[in-house]
Amino acid sequence: MPTTTASAVCTTVGNNILLRLTSGERDVKLKALRELKNQIIGNRTKKLSFLKLGAVPAVAGILSDAVSAVDVADNDENDRIVKDIIVQSAAVLGSFACGFEAGVRAVLDAGADILIQRGCLVEEMPLLKSYMEVVDAGARSLKMIYQSKMAPKYDFLQEENMEFLLSLLNNESENVSGLGASIISHSCKTSLEQKLLFDAGVLKRLTSLLGGSLIQRDASLESIATIFKNNPEVVSQFVGPDTGRTLSCIIEIVKDRFARTRLLASLCLIVIRNASPCYLQDVGIKTKLINNLLELLDDPGRVGDEASFAFSSLIAEKEDMQKLAFEVNGVDKLYNHLQKGSLHPRRFEGILLALADMCSKLECCRSRCLSLQVLKLVVDALAHDSSDVRSAACMCLRSVSRSIKFIQNLSAGSFMNETIVIPLVRLLDDTSTAVQVAALGAISNIVVDFTTRRSTFIRLGGVKLLVQLSKSMDSTIRLNALRALRNLIFLAEDKCKEEIFMELTASLLASLICDPEPSVQEQALALVRNLVDGRINSVEYIFAEDGIILDAVGRQLRIASKAEIEIQGMYVLGNVATGKESHKEAVMDQLLLRAENKAQSCIIKFLQSNDSRLRTAAVWAVLNLTCSSSPGSSGRLVKLHDAGIVSHVKNMVNDPCLDVKLRVKTALEQFNSFDDSLILCIFSPAASNNKASTSCLQFLTVRAVGELSHVVDPSSKEEESIANYFRFSMKKNKKKKSTRTVKFCFDVPADSL
Amino acid sequence: MPVRVAESSAPSQVSGAHSEESSPPICSLLTVGQAFSGTQNVSNLQKEEAWRVNVRIQGCDLEHGYLCGTMEALNVPMADTPVVTFWEGEIVDAKNYTFYTGKWEATPEDDIRHWTKFPSFAPLLSRVEADGGKSLDLSNYPYIFMRWKEQYFVNVGTDCGLTIAGFYYVCFSCSDGSINGFYYDPNSSPFQKLELKCANEGRSGFSFSSYELQ
Repeated sequence: MPTTTASAVCTTVGNNILLRLTSGERDVKLKALRELKNQIIGNRTKKLSFLKLGAVPAVAGILSDAVSAVDVADNDENDRIVKDIIVQSAAVLGSFACGFEAGVRAVLDAGADILIQRGCLVEEMPLLKSYMEVVDAGARSLKMIYQSKMAPKYDFLQEENMEFLLSLLNNESENVSGLGASIISHSCKTSLEQKLLFDAGVLKRLTSLLGGSLIQRDASLESIATIFKNNPEVVSQFVGPDTGRTLSCIIEIVKDRFARTRLLASLCLIVIRNASPCYLQDVGIKTKLINNLLELLDDPGRVGDEASFAFSSLIAEKEDMQKLAFEVNGVDKLYNHLQKGSLHPRRFEGILLALADMCSKLECCRSRCLSLQVLKLVVDALAHDSSDVRSAACMCLRSVSRSIKFIQNLSAGSFMNETIVIPLVRLLDDTSTAVQVAALGAISNIVVDFTTRRSTFIRLGGVKLLVQLSKSMDSTIRLNALRALRNLIFLAEDKCKEEIFMELTASLLASLICDPEPSVQEQALALVRNLVDGRINSVEYIFAEDGIILDAVGRQLRIASKAEIEIQGMYVLGNVATGKESHKEAVMDQLLLRAENKAQSCIIKFLQSNDSRLRTAAVWAVLNLTCSSSPGSSGRLVKLHDAGIVSHVKNMVNDPCLDVKLRVKTALEQFNSFDDSLILCIFSPAASNNKASTSCLQFLTVRAVGELSHVVDPSSKEEESIANYFRFSMKKNKKKKSTRTVKFCFDVPADSL
Repeated sequence: MPVRVAESSAPSQVSGAHSEESSPPICSLLTVGQAFSGTQNVSNLQKEEAWRVNVRIQGCDLEHGYLCGTMEALNVPMADTPVVTFWEGEIVDAKNYTFYTGKWEATPEDDIRHWTKFPSFAPLLSRVEADGGKSLDLSNYPYIFMRWKEQYFVNVGTDCGLTIAGFYYVCFSCSDGSINGFYYDPNSSPFQKLELKCANEGRSGFSFSSYELQ
């Protein structure tokens, strides 16, 4: 029912029109439809008003009636009016849907899309020239509906749908073929659908449309891009005599006089290039694309807004493209646009992201940004109203600071610490999660700093915020907060570490190490690794609160299956193993005694890993535990030997990785440096013989550190010589003021010594 | 149009994250955070001096053959405090950099003259003379050759009386992390030697930390 609208005049006029729409006389209806169409065309406010008055269902009803009334066989005056009514009502519905989401919703709710399709486009109508007007109107309207995200998904898998689509594409009317192309652009999402369309041969028709009218060309370019997007398989099948023609056709269109067409052609080529890098590798075409897009930035409208996004998709992750873009002054050109000020948010966002991509790998781009003072504009954007712009500004900063050289230059140069740090810290509290994550990314790079920026960050309350975020329910935020903390702690001074640890607490760290997300576990372990590095008293942190952190580390190592986690965990233990005796023993405890059901130590698994980084980390732990300068090392060596770890290390003497090989070599030298007269004996408790000590002893196993196990046959004569050796070694030990001891596992008859 | 969504979760090489962990280092002793200490002998007309030197690696980008860090010189006569400089290194990996410097007023003859002072260079000499060492596969060689160039003073002014105009030819031993270097500066005495050992800073064993640039 009619509701009040903003303008009283509108209400009167609106109600009047609606009233006449309900008239029984076709002439009146037709006139009312025309008036309605003229009222709403290009006028969002009027569309909204009429929407509220219930215009859409009313018009849909009229369309439905008219379609039923059509008698194709007849061609008299009456039919003409009916046709006109169909045309006008289709036009009105299409207009409501044009660029107006609420209108699209209303049209779809009224089932008008199906009505139009059935009424205007199916069956005999498209075949009759006299009905071309109807067909065209229907096609135009449907196209407008299909431009909306809310339009229904077209089911390509249904054979009749595919046939209908092909009939649309093959139609001569540019509106009808344009509709076919629109449907593809809108609905084709999966690689299966892409393949179906490709196999159905639509490309041939789309290519011929490239030579058609402006509408056909643009629609075709969008469709071609949609079919190829991210689908290397389809692109690779795109071979044969047709390929060259289509590609060169599109390349020509890159020079078209209409900006939008140039943009669409560029996007099409980019899609093909990204899906299958063997196409469009020529330096000439690469440069042409880059220059084209940089020029399109000059367009003041939507094309200019979108050009930077297209530029990003062209150069993202591709160092060669970034280099080419740099050589044609890409950074400068982007900066010039930034400087214009009062940018539309979409444009601002696009340019910032384009700069982020430019600086993602190349030092020359970062330096250029620094010298152009781009950063000042980027930092200003951190406070923009649009969250997309704030996010993009953070990504730009992150990209630019992804270089230790750059970070050093920042420190050395005049760009102040607080200028960057203050607005970034503020964003940690942003209402948008995406912005928080982006800010965390930039912060985590910027805090890798060996000067004062760290202390500025801490002073501004950055640590408190990071710790808070590390408790977030959102795992992405937890992860990125931890990354920033990990970097912050890297080589931090004692005081700084202490402040961070007080805020974090041992229990939080322990729970983060056991976080449900593996990547969070990894970062937590990396944080602890950095925490216990540095001055030797830093190792104590891991023992805080009854050693819950160390226990958590040990536990994760035993259950982890991801190499990255295992590597960090091993380095934690390896670092702790460079501490005092008690620290080393605690590590031994984690590695050896805690294994469930006397299973082998996890370190053996790591020593055998395919990942050389993990093997390296494991060998370092062993090296640190058996460091020659430590008094308890020989005892630890014996235990490691018993656990089978030493022999595993020995087996790695020809490791394919140079670093591992060198560490193993050092380890073996270290093992051999221990007194080799150290013998570990196990005596059988059932020594019942009372003869001379040597023959009483039944040696089950004689082991020498550094040599293989030697099982002695008690009945053989070996016994005596081994016993002599043993006695000799014992004497030798007594002489030496050595702290090394021989270990006994069972009772030894007292008179044997 | 592609819309950028904030990158999330796990770091990966594909995403471009410059991770210290993702590609294994050539040698774990030449990684960020590692410290080295030793001496540089400084000769001038009057006498021989030796300064204590501490070096720390701060950045490492193997893909681009890049390294950087700080160098701290202690008991420098002209200065009241230790003098700290920031240096950048080029790793001779036959991909990014060769044995020929090609800048900093060092001729190929100067290059060869300096590299041959390292015993570990001897097996490579003939190949280097032939093609600059481009055909060498140094990935399994237990020594890493670099050039280190100090870029600026971190804690003193340029009027401190010290020069950083030259650069070092450096040889790093992967097995024990020891570093030998020769300073080259056409305006200074030749072959001033830098000798450093891997420092474990009071610990028994070697401790490693890391950071990750996203």
